[in-house]
Amino acid sequence: MPPVRDSIEKQQNSVDEDMQKTHAKLTLAEVRAKLAGQTGKKYWRSIDELAGTPEFEQALRDEFPQHSSEWIDPVSRRGFLKIMGASLALAGLSGCTKQPDEPIYPYVKAPEDLVLGKPVYFATAFPFPTGAVPVLIKSYAYRPIKVDGNPDHPYNQGGSDPITQATLLDLYDPDRSKHCLYRGETSPWPTFLASFRSMLADKKPLGGQGVYFLSDTVTSPTLAAQWKKGQAAFPNAKFIQYSPVNRDSAYAASKAAFGEYADAQYRLADADIIVSLDADFLSGARHPGFHRLAKDYANRRRLDATLNGTASANYSMNRLYAVESMTSTTGMKAEHRLALRASDIEGFAAALAAALGVGSAPSGYTWSPEAQKFLAALVADLKSSRGRCVIIPGEQQTVGVHLAAMAMNDSLGNVGKTVVYTDTVNPMPSNQTDDLRSLVADMNAGKVDWLVILNANPVYSAPADLNFGDAIGKVGTIVHLGNHLDETGLQAHWHINAAHYLESWTDARAYDGTVSVVQPMIEPLYGGHTAHDIVQSLSFDNPDASAYQLLRQTWGDQAVAVVKPAGGDADFGWRKLLHDGFLSGSAYTPKTLTAKITIPAPPPQSPANSLEIIFRPDPHVYDGRYANVGWLQEIPRPITNLSWDNAALMSYATLDNMGVHEHQVIEIHLNGYKVLAPVLAVPGHPDGAITAHLGQGRSTGRVAGGTGFSAYQIRPSATPLFASGATVVKTDREWGLAVPKSHYIDHRATYVGGDGSGTHSLEGNEAIDRGIIRYATLDQFKKEPGFAQEGYGKDTPPPDESLFPAYRYDKNAWGMSIDLNSCVGCNACVVSCYAENNIAVVGQHQATIGRIMQWIRIDTYYEGDLAAPRAHFQPMTCHQCENAPCEQVCPVGATVHSPEGLNMMIYNRCVGTRYCSNNCPYKVRRFNFLLYSDYTTPSLKLMRNPDVTVRSRGVMEKCSYCVQRIQEVKIEADKNNRPIHDGEIFTACQQACPTNAIIFGNINDADARVTKLKKLERTYGVLADLNTRPRTTYVAEVINVNPELTPDVGA
Amino acid sequence: MAQIFDRSSNALARMSLVLSGLIIIALGVTLNELQRSPWVTRQGQRADQPVPFSHKHHVEGLGLQCQYCHVSVEKSSYAGIPPTRTCMNCHSQIWTNAALLEPVRHSWATGESIVWTKVHDLPDFVYFNHEIHVNKGIGCETCHGRVDEMPIMYEQNTLQMEWCLDCHRNPIKNLRPTAEIYNMDWKKPSDLNPVWCTATNVKTGTPTSESVNCTTVDPATASGTQLASLHLVETVDAQIAGAPVSDTPAGMLAPSVNYIKFTNQDALGGFLFKHYHIRSARELSSCEVCHR
Repeated sequence: MPPVRDSIEKQQNSVDEDMQKTHAKLTLAEVRAKLAGQTGKKYWRSIDELAGTPEFEQALRDEFPQHSSEWIDPVSRRGFLKIMGASLALAGLSGCTKQPDEPIYPYVKAPEDLVLGKPVYFATAFPFPTGAVPVLIKSYAYRPIKVDGNPDHPYNQGGSDPITQATLLDLYDPDRSKHCLYRGETSPWPTFLASFRSMLADKKPLGGQGVYFLSDTVTSPTLAAQWKKGQAAFPNAKFIQYSPVNRDSAYAASKAAFGEYADAQYRLADADIIVSLDADFLSGARHPGFHRLAKDYANRRRLDATLNGTASANYSMNRLYAVESMTSTTGMKAEHRLALRASDIEGFAAALAAALGVGSAPSGYTWSPEAQKFLAALVADLKSSRGRCVIIPGEQQTVGVHLAAMAMNDSLGNVGKTVVYTDTVNPMPSNQTDDLRSLVADMNAGKVDWLVILNANPVYSAPADLNFGDAIGKVGTIVHLGNHLDETGLQAHWHINAAHYLESWTDARAYDGTVSVVQPMIEPLYGGHTAHDIVQSLSFDNPDASAYQLLRQTWGDQAVAVVKPAGGDADFGWRKLLHDGFLSGSAYTPKTLTAKITIPAPPPQSPANSLEIIFRPDPHVYDGRYANVGWLQEIPRPITNLSWDNAALMSYATLDNMGVHEHQVIEIHLNGYKVLAPVLAVPGHPDGAITAHLGQGRSTGRVAGGTGFSAYQIRPSATPLFASGATVVKTDREWGLAVPKSHYIDHRATYVGGDGSGTHSLEGNEAIDRGIIRYATLDQFKKEPGFAQEGYGKDTPPPDESLFPAYRYDKNAWGMSIDLNSCVGCNACVVSCYAENNIAVVGQHQATIGRIMQWIRIDTYYEGDLAAPRAHFQPMTCHQCENAPCEQVCPVGATVHSPEGLNMMIYNRCVGTRYCSNNCPYKVRRFNFLLYSDYTTPSLKLMRNPDVTVRSRGVMEKCSYCVQRIQEVKIEADKNNRPIHDGEIFTACQQACPTNAIIFGNINDADARVTKLKKLERTYGVLADLNTRPRTTYVAEVINVNPELTPDVGA
Repeated sequence: MAQIFDRSSNALARMSLVLSGLIIIALGVTLNELQRSPWVTRQGQRADQPVPFSHKHHVEGLGLQCQYCHVSVEKSSYAGIPPTRTCMNCHSQIWTNAALLEPVRHSWATGESIVWTKVHDLPDFVYFNHEIHVNKGIGCETCHGRVDEMPIMYEQNTLQMEWCLDCHRNPIKNLRPTAEIYNMDWKKPSDLNPVWCTATNVKTGTPTSESVNCTTVDPATASGTQLASLHLVETVDAQIAGAPVSDTPAGMLAPSVNYIKFTNQDALGGFLFKHYHIRSARELSSCEVCHR
């Protein structure tokens, strides 16, 4: 470890000591005691809140959890905060002095089609290992400034996810590798090519013996074709793919079942019953097909005719069962969830299959009464929904789970209906872990002369027992192509700086197989190169062919064939392909495969007292490749609400059994390897297991370096998905995990009106007493369609109840409706908001003390038992109240009401009194305590949305309903003397939402979707009894429970 | 013990009270004046530019149209600063050796921008949009002054918020027909210089430039070609030939048929305000119009 990090660690330790004093946690027994005797519906947001700890009470008293006068930031190493000394004192005066001269740099030759000041949109695709995400890039003066889903693409229809959204910051990451390096010295690319090609010429007679490529999962059919050609010329060279999060189980299962590799595509539009076997298909691109699956899932839950296009109200809701280990958004959205250790799921899948008449029940497995009841109800439901149900196995589950799911889908008659099998999206499917193991064996045997690593970081991410870091020392020459000079890059002889997908030509297939050509949006910022450029050297006849030429070869003919040019232009089809972003008609057609499925007998159930480690990709930074993206690090992850780090995630019972408390650091031992990890409890996590998210604990990168721990350090290659037999050693160290969940809280606590008994969960009680969360079961909804209104009579006080005169809204009146049934809590809207509104990243310490700047957050309300909760996700952003409490208290008129009903925030008037935030019942205003915005880093300046002010220190900010987008459309409409059409304005959150849960529009327009939604009986306002008259309303949840399992939930 | 303060101190004390009051007032007045002074606003200041480009010569002398250089003024927030190529369109042929044009040739040869100094420099937190102004009847000259008479470009107006709001609160006083946007010498209507306007196309969705026709020549005596508007439709043509023109106030006759004579800016502005669908003063002076 370099000395710099040592001192950082020491610094961090001293912070930890401070934090230790404030973390006197309750034991599980105490919490249970407090929960005992509580009946009926009960919500809670965090365990602190539930238990009413003194710290929580203190936090309630403080508007922002720690002192605003604090100046010293112990984690300033993150580089986000700059205290500028004297210039701060001058900042107040600078407002009164004249501006400096500003230069204008006009073009010498202006691009023909460019209209400066107007954005241009380009279609391309984000090649992700689980399948390409088709995107539409907003480009300002040819700088990409926003990444969104491609609305015309049949696969995602405009939806995106947190990672796709955040690839924008990945492009402009100031830590990106900027040069080709040879042994640490800058060396030009041609020098590398010359050296590489002379080696290849030497190796040609041997057929390329000793030349190895190690690539991240190949997503590009053209790259696969290049390698196929290269393989012909170099039959002894090897090309290995390895991603630490891969689809080995799915591929192995399809190979076993069909004798060939195939992908399963699920068609949830036709599924009444959905069963997830540890498949987290509602949380992000980690699961293949997330965008499509989430959209199809949500479309079956709308219950209203305005959005799903059906003629009459369609009550045929789907029902989701989740059997899962780590609590996921999928599990929390599920009507019924069963928490099992990851190792038990294969046994459960076999038992389920046996109950459905496939295979035999596993022997030696014992199930809890809940699990038995769950199984029985599930079997009955599945049997009555043959051909209209689907069973989805988790990517991070075993071959056995996949085979059982395939067999069950087969026997239930789902194949061809709700599940189809197609060719693989990956052009070169393989068993990656086995391939990596054989590569390491070859490396250790000294067989590897040249190892060319393409966009992978195996030194960091290879399983611990392979000792990749040692093996790599036995390789003759290591070449590393990468976006960052990462752990592997530092060990390589040659490091080639890679071009980002927004800077390069390549191609990829989406989940449904549709081909997208990825086109560059910007000249490579640092002149990067791609895998195409390197692999092409294997073709001696044309080694310098560019990726563009190769793509034309691969798709040019097909593109021209698809579209017959009307005007006779031979290039029309190709241009259309680039314009549309996909090759229409290239989606895979389902294959008819004869399945011979034998469900393997699951391994014996691991003893109840054993401890297992579950390895999962991080919901945001994935396998670590996005660890240096500040947005993804900072935005609290779903379920855990954890910002910046990862943690040893476990259930409250396990926490209690271990005798540890949250934030305490434990040492996890597994197969002789160990790692230090802080502890965090997760509601609904199975007992006897620890979930470790991969992707943290990086040692390089200003953002990534030093956050969390690397779970790869204990990951075994034999069982990379989960491993039993771990032991834990307690340490007395603390790690201040940033969990901002309790920081958005109302001022009124027990000390101003609670019952003070300690059983009072403030937000939970508010959630039920004041109807923040309202939901019903489908049966209840059918009986009482107005359930969301009943019992909450104070929702809409008469307009004259306020002392302030009512505003009149003659033309437009902007409003938003959020469908809580569709929201899956994936965070795509949050990242989209960061990108659109130039929101600053504050760093871990500031996040810990509640100064995270997000304008929209996903409030998660848990309900019920700690071990088996139900959760309700509620996107919370400025409600643009018509009677806004914030406006009435601003002493300087910095937040005022617009004629269209927006609560405007005028940054240059704001003097930072924070009264507005104090008076906001929704806690959606965020304050720049320090200079969070980075005004100096050149690459970040390119990224900013030029239509939104970059806020400085001392001003309040909040959601503006994307007023810049409203203004843009308004000007366009005004130019043509027409009203704004419904659906013309998309807020950033709405645009990103994969399930269309957020609808924005003009509530004065009776035909607008938002108006129709607001007329639904299920629509309610949060805290509307305060007569705030919020413009954002929610459509209450309706869940389709199986009455056999939970007769007593709901309103 | 002798008194520390002499009796005369009383006078001093009183005087200092008055004086400090005066000083505070003077300071306030000074700061107020300073804030609005050309030193801060740069009103009227001629910045040092790499090339002493003369708008007077090019616009008044040669008759170049504004959009020849400022191409995006009608379609973008940003009017556009011409690329070097625009200069070279002519200056590769004429004045090819002029010393003054050396920076232009240098830019053309090296591909480096000519670095101009911004004359109309708004604060960074203000979002100004050219397209909506020129599409709604605010002429270039209204804000930029008689550019055709400026040998060196300078700021005619302060560009301060009070100046913006002055018009946003009452846009009628500055509206002109969109066909006259680029007319540097547009005169507000008067008894001597009346303006005749007709609303030609009143359905929604019609761009402002097509919704009103105006002329400074009496349509009763004029032939169609002299009309200022380029968007004359045939029906109007026919009507002009025969129909009597009335100066009855707007609304009494079908506006698409007859021209209305305007002899003062308020009447013309009111007519255009209505037919250009200009937003109300309340909407126009709402903060989010300029601040985001």
